[in-house]
Amino acid sequence: MSSASVVDPAVRGRLAGGRVHQVILVREQDAQHSGSGCCGRLGERHTALGGAADFSHSRARMEQVGEIYRALAAAVPDLELTVVDPRNLVWLYPAVWRAARAHGAGVLTALRAVARAGAPVAVVVDGNTLYSGRLPDTQTVMAAVLARVQQRSPARPTADAQRQP
Amino acid sequence: MPAFLLIVITLVAFYFAYKFYSRYLAEKVYRLDPNFVTPAHAMRDGVDFVPTHKHVLLGHHFTSVAGAAPIVGPAIAVYWGWLPALTWVILGTIFAAGVHDFGSIVVSARNRGQNIGTLSGKVVSARASTLFLLIIFFLLTLVNAVFGVVMAILFEKNPGAVVPALIVIPIAVFIGQWAYRMGRSIVIPSILGLLLLYAAIPVGQAYPIYVDGLAEAVGLSVRTTWIILIFAYTWIASRLPVWVLLQPRDYINGQQLIVALAVIFLGVLIGWDTISAPAVNEVAPNSPHWFPYLFITVACGAISGFHSLVASGTTSKQLGNETEARFVGYGGALGEGALALAAILACTAGLGAAGDWNAAYADFGAASGGALGHFVTGTGHFLSNLGIPATLGATFAAVVVITFAGTTMDTGVRLQRYILEEIAELAGVKALVGRVNLLTTLAVLIPLGLALLPGGDSSGGKGFAFGRLWTLFGTTNQLTAGLALSIIGVWLLARNRNPLAALIPLVFLLFMTTWALLLNLGDFFAKGDWLLLVMDAAIFVLAAWLVVEAFTAFNRERRNPSAAAEES
Repeated sequence: MSSASVVDPAVRGRLAGGRVHQVILVREQDAQHSGSGCCGRLGERHTALGGAADFSHSRARMEQVGEIYRALAAAVPDLELTVVDPRNLVWLYPAVWRAARAHGAGVLTALRAVARAGAPVAVVVDGNTLYSGRLPDTQTVMAAVLARVQQRSPARPTADAQRQP
Repeated sequence: MPAFLLIVITLVAFYFAYKFYSRYLAEKVYRLDPNFVTPAHAMRDGVDFVPTHKHVLLGHHFTSVAGAAPIVGPAIAVYWGWLPALTWVILGTIFAAGVHDFGSIVVSARNRGQNIGTLSGKVVSARASTLFLLIIFFLLTLVNAVFGVVMAILFEKNPGAVVPALIVIPIAVFIGQWAYRMGRSIVIPSILGLLLLYAAIPVGQAYPIYVDGLAEAVGLSVRTTWIILIFAYTWIASRLPVWVLLQPRDYINGQQLIVALAVIFLGVLIGWDTISAPAVNEVAPNSPHWFPYLFITVACGAISGFHSLVASGTTSKQLGNETEARFVGYGGALGEGALALAAILACTAGLGAAGDWNAAYADFGAASGGALGHFVTGTGHFLSNLGIPATLGATFAAVVVITFAGTTMDTGVRLQRYILEEIAELAGVKALVGRVNLLTTLAVLIPLGLALLPGGDSSGGKGFAFGRLWTLFGTTNQLTAGLALSIIGVWLLARNRNPLAALIPLVFLLFMTTWALLLNLGDFFAKGDWLLLVMDAAIFVLAAWLVVEAFTAFNRERRNPSAAAEES
């Protein structure tokens, strides 16, 4: 794990009422295919034999998303972090739709979030697709995700603040 | 009997199997521990090792294992009647595939997410990893050969499917540029691509493409011409960067899988067709006997060794809690069984309603050579229940199978290239190492030879050779499953647990496989099919080798349980 970022203490992975913020990191799993049946993946052999070169672009995205994943997990441990392949359409699209609607998005906004989530790489926070298709550097993504989380969970007064007159 | 009843019977059997047998496996055999720290947590890196919710993981796992193979096997096997085919699909799924897929995830998760190839060397013996490599080599060779023939048969019999099958290539290339080069979302383009593909179906019907003229010009049969064209395409496709064609086409495939399953089951429900095929068919003289051929004809759909590669290659690394291996592994196997059920329904109820079932399955040659055509016709009938003209529906089904088969061949040739390179390295043949074009050419020529030389056409166009190729494919697939079951069984024995759940399907599969290989040896010798004879003999040696390795490993663990399979 990478070292934890310094995060505003007001940022918490939990929403009021105990619900957890949901972050979906969309990225393709390299060397895996839907509908290929018998010929999906050979595991380590596949990459050990130079197969990684075929999927180097997917691998690079996996690594980049992995960095964001580790940074988010360290910074906001309460966060519900899910990494999903965009071809897993049975799970991904309903999940983004549900989250968007649950967080008050209208039908069109929710549909737009769903449409943008289905990309080789995307970042979705509470049903809101922040990035789709391309990701900036990890720090920028982190800042955007944390800002979104903070915006959705207004700082609850800390114990110290409550004690102040 | 109403086809709907078969759905109910199968789903009820699957429900009880999941509720009771998979629970038995989870609690008594694999002894899943909710407190076990899975590799996804222990080595969590957000890249390969990612704790993933079980519903997400099932989606990944199922879309990876489902393909065209669970359609072909059952479509041939109903030749012996729907009852033996369905019984093997149900029992195989419950007692073999479920144990195999579930166990592969558990054993891999207990071994730092290592894959079956690595585990075979670690758990069974060092020699077993070489055995694994050789089995996979034969498996991929046969996969590429049979799917080359499958596509050729479909193009020959459904010339209306050629235009949509071709259209999907520029669509996929456009989606690839859109998504990977321009960095845009893929949802709308892939849905539009799918709609465009479906819109091309009536266009294909109006403008069917025949290669008769070309075939005549070069002096080959139509099917042989198609086979050569398809392998030429595969060479090119497998040399392209994966993001150009393979990966974007995958989005369309994923959507097609859902659409195809939905329309088949919906068509059955709405049409309320009855099964007109016999429960047990009185087969033509000189046909292969259902015992043992049924059990290698239906490989994927009852049990597939390749699932262990997906289970241990990816799924085990993302398992959030060990107890969820039951839901993902056993559940995925049941999903594959449901796909095989759909194929059986199409080739019995659908085909029977659309035409003369007895004529379509007059002999094994017609059954095997026409299997995909039967599936396509049957599915076309189900679509006609939904108000779509049967001919359009049939082309739709052909396009589904062709796009799946195309993806399978593309990935199969790529994988074969890696395997050939590794075998070359092991054998010290430096001239092949790193020679991508040469390796690709070999990976294409070997299955092409298999697809042509046994006489796909010389068998009078009936495709009997395809049936025999398919059974060889089935044997290698079952051997891969046998290797995974050996690993699971040895792993259980090393922990003083009852290994029977893995041992019984292992012994059953090895017995059926070796018996069928022996019968084939005699048959190929009598008919002078020398290439198939050599292939069969080689696979038989691998089967015998696997029996020896499994027996030695079991004996070793029974006498002296070792820490060979100790989890980290």
